[in-house]
Amino acid sequence: MIQFGKPTGVCKFVLVAILSLAVGRAQTYKAPRTPDGKPNLNGIWQANNTANWDLQGHAAQAGLITVLGAIGAEPAGLGVVEGGAIPYLPAAAAKKKENFANRLTLDPEVKCYMPGVPRATYMPFPFQIIQSQNKILIAYEYASTERLINMGKPIEPPDNSWMGMSNGRWEGDTLVVDVTGFNDQTWFDRAGDFHSESLHVVERYTPASAEVLNYEATIEDPMVFSRPWKISMPLYRRIEKNMQLGEFKCVEFVEELMYGHLRKKTSSK
Amino acid sequence: MNQRLCILATVTVSLFLGSVAVSAQALKPAPAAKTSNWVVGHTPDGQPDLQGTWTNATLIPLERKKELGAKEFYTEEEKAAMDAKPKKPIGSALVQHYDLAQFGLDRTQGKFATSLRTSLIMGPEGRMPPFTADGQKRIAAQTARIKGHEFDGPEFRNPGERCIVNNATGPPMMPSGYNNDLEIVQGPGYVAIIQEMIHDTRIIRLDGSPHISSDIRTWRGDSRGHWEGNTLVVDTTNFSDKVSFNRIPVSSNLHLIERFTRTGPETISYQFTMDDPQTWEKPWSAEIVMGPAPGQIFEYACHEANHSMENLLSSARNLEKEAAEGKK
Repeated sequence: MIQFGKPTGVCKFVLVAILSLAVGRAQTYKAPRTPDGKPNLNGIWQANNTANWDLQGHAAQAGLITVLGAIGAEPAGLGVVEGGAIPYLPAAAAKKKENFANRLTLDPEVKCYMPGVPRATYMPFPFQIIQSQNKILIAYEYASTERLINMGKPIEPPDNSWMGMSNGRWEGDTLVVDVTGFNDQTWFDRAGDFHSESLHVVERYTPASAEVLNYEATIEDPMVFSRPWKISMPLYRRIEKNMQLGEFKCVEFVEELMYGHLRKKTSSK
Repeated sequence: MNQRLCILATVTVSLFLGSVAVSAQALKPAPAAKTSNWVVGHTPDGQPDLQGTWTNATLIPLERKKELGAKEFYTEEEKAAMDAKPKKPIGSALVQHYDLAQFGLDRTQGKFATSLRTSLIMGPEGRMPPFTADGQKRIAAQTARIKGHEFDGPEFRNPGERCIVNNATGPPMMPSGYNNDLEIVQGPGYVAIIQEMIHDTRIIRLDGSPHISSDIRTWRGDSRGHWEGNTLVVDTTNFSDKVSFNRIPVSSNLHLIERFTRTGPETISYQFTMDDPQTWEKPWSAEIVMGPAPGQIFEYACHEANHSMENLLSSARNLEKEAAEGKK
């Protein structure tokens, strides 16, 4: 039997050094501060994964629109759901399948509708965080959508909406955002993953380095899921010097799709 | 305030604001309400604080009534007399069955920031300068393109009805019939303007960087801002050729300069200069005084619920079908 003795002094030092490097990278990064002393999350960020195609792990597959060829094909992804699978209730699992089958007509993204939360975070577009004293603005390039996170006394949602009502607070360096007041119109991805009006999302934005935020969202909806579940992914800073959000006012791009059949046939655009 | 005091206040405010001249002619900002000891606050990163929820609703017309000539401001007495007269709710809506108060269309209930201006357009003319030949040609072409084709397809409707951009988005940000609420948020290096109507967030960079490539043309243009004392000066170019101002198709060479100055705890002077030599014979400037809007900005899901577009086009197709069947 091999006996492990107590670590020697040098060995102990090396171990501690390795451990603190590993832990330090992951957990003890201290974000720079804003002029009013808050963790500074200001910047333009973007996910770099295929969660918007499908939150769960998936192989690459052909797209639905033949003429788009490889451009329209779905790239593979390892999945961002903790534990791998979304815990649907049986009826909801059936609805998800139906959504997937009819995704070309049912996915709200196809029609340039507001993406909801957390989907706005991992769409293939950048978003910008602007921190004010009492509010934090998240402006998304996609469809000029925005959320204004209330950092004061929590506000009840006055009504249901696409992007919900966001109340935020700091837990150490982590921005925790509690989002409620959703309508049931948005999806989580192009795979038909959906929710009801009972959706409750808790997001956590934790600075992991100068150029990475760790993003987590806990999703709770007793009408659709058997238990709360969690997604996580890194968000990367767009470090290009000239980076700014572009204008993606996509309504114009879907008018033919949505109203083309109602056009006067003899008229040119 | 009597007239002499008013002039004195105007001069004082002008001196306080520093150079307010935005074109060759010296332009006077609207006299601000007397606010004793008030000084502008600053954000933690040192910007003058413009933040809050504001409305740019106004009853002041863009262009001055001709009979007022070069009179740029009413006196306090004249304004008080006008304010005492009952305001008319929006005309045509009355004959329909809308509850004007419920939908915020009742102008007598709206909150407006006050100003003594006789027109939003500044200076002795108080009106837009004449259109250039090119501008006239462009307007005529637009009119000809739309006339008789109003219901042919979405592209024949204005961008506001299409939920792309509207008056409020601008820029310049112009008031419309209802819901003129906007929120200004400032963070290090940026000013953001969130428009409730249609929903839009415009982000203004303050880092002194150059405009984006002139190949990139957008509905809102490309904005760069800097502070001149307490005034945020925003320079916007890169407009697309689809952009219009008050239904006037401006040229894509439009160069817009906006000036935001917090003039009191409850007022922002918002001035803009339209410099588009292809459309107007000379640049012109306007001022809107913004006042506080109660409450918070809420989500305006315009396109997501734009049943009007579908109804309008399908009604037009049905009418055509009925007309064709009637002829048979």
